[in-house]
Amino acid sequence: MSSKRQSLEEMLVVDVDVHLHEKPAEMAAYIDKPYRQSMEIAGSFQDDRYLALPGFAPGDTFYFPMYPGGGEAGRAVWGIQQMRDELDKIAIDIGILFPDHLLKLAVHPVKDYAAAIARAYNAWMVDRWCSREKGILGLIIAANQDPEDAAREIEKYAKEPTVVGVYLPTAGVQPLWGDRKYDPIFQAAQDADLPVLLHSVTVVHPVFPSQIQEYETALGQHSVSHLFNMMANMVRMVETGVPVRYPDLRVAFTEAGISWVPGMLHRLDKEYLELRRDIPMFKQRPSKHLEKYYYATQPIGEPENPQDIVDLIRLYNGFKTTMFASDWPHHDFDHPRAVYKLPWPSEEVRRGVMGENALEFFKIDRNGYRLNLKTKGGE
Amino acid sequence: MGKIHQVATTAELPVGAKMVINIGKRSIGLFNVNGAYHALPNLCPHQIGPLCEGNVSGTTDARAETGWKVEWVNEGEIVACPWHGIEYHIPTGRCLPFPEISIRTYKVWAEDDAVFIEL
Repeated sequence: MSSKRQSLEEMLVVDVDVHLHEKPAEMAAYIDKPYRQSMEIAGSFQDDRYLALPGFAPGDTFYFPMYPGGGEAGRAVWGIQQMRDELDKIAIDIGILFPDHLLKLAVHPVKDYAAAIARAYNAWMVDRWCSREKGILGLIIAANQDPEDAAREIEKYAKEPTVVGVYLPTAGVQPLWGDRKYDPIFQAAQDADLPVLLHSVTVVHPVFPSQIQEYETALGQHSVSHLFNMMANMVRMVETGVPVRYPDLRVAFTEAGISWVPGMLHRLDKEYLELRRDIPMFKQRPSKHLEKYYYATQPIGEPENPQDIVDLIRLYNGFKTTMFASDWPHHDFDHPRAVYKLPWPSEEVRRGVMGENALEFFKIDRNGYRLNLKTKGGE
Repeated sequence: MGKIHQVATTAELPVGAKMVINIGKRSIGLFNVNGAYHALPNLCPHQIGPLCEGNVSGTTDARAETGWKVEWVNEGEIVACPWHGIEYHIPTGRCLPFPEISIRTYKVWAEDDAVFIEL
């Protein structure tokens, strides 16, 4: 590959975080009884409540901005062709699907119900949304409430050509990811050679670190919600040695930007110096073990000096483990040019962050074919 | 061949004991680990703390072969710097949290009831 600068349009852009919008009326056909009727009721609502299944309206205490004039973008993507058309407009070749409503699945209190919703979503998403030809690939949801069932789902979709990973609902999850309760999920993902991706959302919930009722503005809540959830879950995963116990498990942290990463790693390393005995499965400082983990760029920091972002990524050796994400169509999405234009140290790094690192992470080729399946449809 | 110093009597350094001695400008920790004598600089390279004044104990390990169950190992072989708790393996000088770091060790031995060190 040459060192000549490709334009954004010429360059392969893989977007590791785009959001579909669930249609409960459609999903009803995929959910087990006795929950089908609940999904049908949700589907009958005229307004688009947050997947308002009975007993499932978590986090309604999120503050919408108090003042008109900004931050009100309520965009949603209702179907695959709309997604393809919109990604085309922002120069994205391959998009990786996360949900909308089900970003809050982790706080659902009913084990069977949450697992049924996840199974329904997975089947519906694969049927109605995933298409290699359209460059739209999916992540199945692992319901934290029922790790054994989530592990079965991972096994079920392990060979599905359009499923490239596992979404771990992270907002308000309790216990935090990394708890030994979730070992079946990590084991299944490692065995299936599918990566896991942590993704949070703003939710006010009485579990650490989501008790964000402290804040009186949307700005306050949204500043910490994604960020603290990524940090809290990373620390929990370190405590139980996930990077050591599942050495081949690929992990990504999304929608918290990247600026937190070096600070968190420095903190963990400093603690390790004094408290190594607490995590004896680690044979060297945590940052060394965590170098193999991946980070999604959105929401990218926008400091006065763009070089600062490149420097921060260098601090965690992240030129091969940082992946562009847009978060389309959400209010805080990043256009790919916000990341493309950064003063990368080489064109190789620019291409890596914009797309090729994600190919490595998901083990797919430039056409969206999974490379870890024996039967491969493509070239 | 360095210079040999008599630094203690065997009675002063029974199994499990340690002492810090000064020879010239050097401060050195002497240890009797299960009947074997060892010596390390009394200096932790981290922030130049008095390493050998720290506690001697065992430490934890966890391995895949045992299902990552935490084990207590190397009883009596680990000294932790009193400033920040950084652990060193006394017989080898190996720093546990930073495997790329080892501190030097000195040759120590007993003859009759005297303990000698070679600097």
